[in-house]
Amino acid sequence: MIEFKNVSKRYNESGDALSDVSFQVQRGELAFLTGHSGAGKSTLLRLIPIFERPSKGEIILDSQPIQGLPIRDIPFLRRKLGLIFQDFRLLNDRTVFDNVALPLLLSGHNRIDVARRVRGALDKVGLLKKEKRMPLGLSGGEQQRIGIARAIVHKPPIILADEPTGNLDPELAGEIMRIFNEFNSLGVTILIASHDLNLVNRFSRRTLQLEHGKLIKVVTEHAV
Amino acid sequence: MLFRKKVNFRRGIFRPPIQAYEPIKTRVNTYLSLQKEALNTSFVRLWVTPIGSMLTILVLAMALALPVSLHGLVENAQKPLQALETTSQISLFLKPELNNQSGRRLVEILKRNPKVSTAELITKEQGLVELSELSGFADALSVLANNPLPVVALIKPAKTDVSSVSQLLQELRKLPEADLAQFDTEWLNKLRLMLEIAEQCVTAFSLLLGIGVIFIVGNTIRLELQTRHEEIAVQKLLGATNQFIRRPFLYAGLWYALLGSILALSLANTIILAVRDPANQLASLYGSTYQLSFIDLRASLLMTLTAVLFGISGAWIVVSFYLRKLDPAKGTKH
Repeated sequence: MIEFKNVSKRYNESGDALSDVSFQVQRGELAFLTGHSGAGKSTLLRLIPIFERPSKGEIILDSQPIQGLPIRDIPFLRRKLGLIFQDFRLLNDRTVFDNVALPLLLSGHNRIDVARRVRGALDKVGLLKKEKRMPLGLSGGEQQRIGIARAIVHKPPIILADEPTGNLDPELAGEIMRIFNEFNSLGVTILIASHDLNLVNRFSRRTLQLEHGKLIKVVTEHAV
Repeated sequence: MLFRKKVNFRRGIFRPPIQAYEPIKTRVNTYLSLQKEALNTSFVRLWVTPIGSMLTILVLAMALALPVSLHGLVENAQKPLQALETTSQISLFLKPELNNQSGRRLVEILKRNPKVSTAELITKEQGLVELSELSGFADALSVLANNPLPVVALIKPAKTDVSSVSQLLQELRKLPEADLAQFDTEWLNKLRLMLEIAEQCVTAFSLLLGIGVIFIVGNTIRLELQTRHEEIAVQKLLGATNQFIRRPFLYAGLWYALLGSILALSLANTIILAVRDPANQLASLYGSTYQLSFIDLRASLLMTLTAVLFGISGAWIVVSFYLRKLDPAKGTKH
């Protein structure tokens, strides 16, 4: 589903953020991406929705190379992805409901459909009662869960999560991982970047380990 | 790579095949939902900053009120002028030795001339009566032994434009009976030329201030883009097309221009209403019942449409420039 072939990303200022990374994530797989901060996890995740283009190499999504994609088609690629950001990227002047509704509104769903799906997504993350609240009035964990609801509301086939449990206590982190597991069992392909090895080790999943922009180790699920 | 397979993420790829080709109805519904959403957003944004929005609308109204009022002024000045032209007549003074009888004959001939609308005779006696009534020279005139006034034919030209009238004048002057043919067009011509200049000014002002509308709306939208930078960035991250981001701003441009136009028209009509009474009094002093008219519907619609078009253009230009900077190919971080 997601394939990197010898991908490098170089920023002019600071050498290679990624160098010669190759891996595959199968359809319906849940995989982890680990490494210290600055190892290139976020950079790798940013290349998939084309927030940035790789300097070298090829990225293939569902057997389609994406680097030739014209700019005007990029939005349609992003709509197939559920993105969870480390810093949430919520709109703080909108209610929880409106934040979660955004992916649906921008692809032109009608209001009734939107309301139904948004409530469904909020129910999954346990925030149904807080749909009228503003994000800033909620805890970090709750804001993260808004982000997750927003990432799943349009039922994407792929979810990319950048440190989804970074701001949460272990109990909440476990709760969120359970949500991911649930989606994965429905056939969604999920790639989670996390530096929290304790959490990663609790799930026996394939783990890609990055260091200084290089993929140094791939731990298969059987080995864990 | 020389031959790259065309990739299309709009349909196919991750989507189940059954949804790969949406029926027209679904696409129309999607489009309508998007328009509704943009309309909604544009209203909300106008409403969130009521003072800012109002100021923009006021500035637009001021800019638009100037050419519109000027247009109203010129329009209103032209109408009585046209009325003057249609009532204007040529006075044909016959040679003093000719009597009323030959005058009457001449008038009959003139009436058959296609260039003449009406012709009327003023006999020597009528002339004397009018003169003594009007000038207060009655006593002086009564001293005269015989009537010194010539017979006069008052002629209304069939066509009142300058060239037709001067042609008719030439013709009348060549008549053997004619002594003097007078048509007081000089001041009318001057006035008309002045109004023509004013009209050109209205056109020029309209053009300038129309471009002004682009800048005023553009600048307001630019400020709005700055305050909504994060919102737009998030929308793009989640897969908003440029059209989706642009649409509410285009609606905003439309509302600004539309409300500005309506306010400008109200302003211009208020000015006309304010000067209406004194103008009527002035007209009545000249024995006219002429009334100032408000800005006509055609001009109002034309101005509103133009302003709206320019308002939307202003928004479009600014948002498009802004969005171009956000392209991932340009390497800007979201």
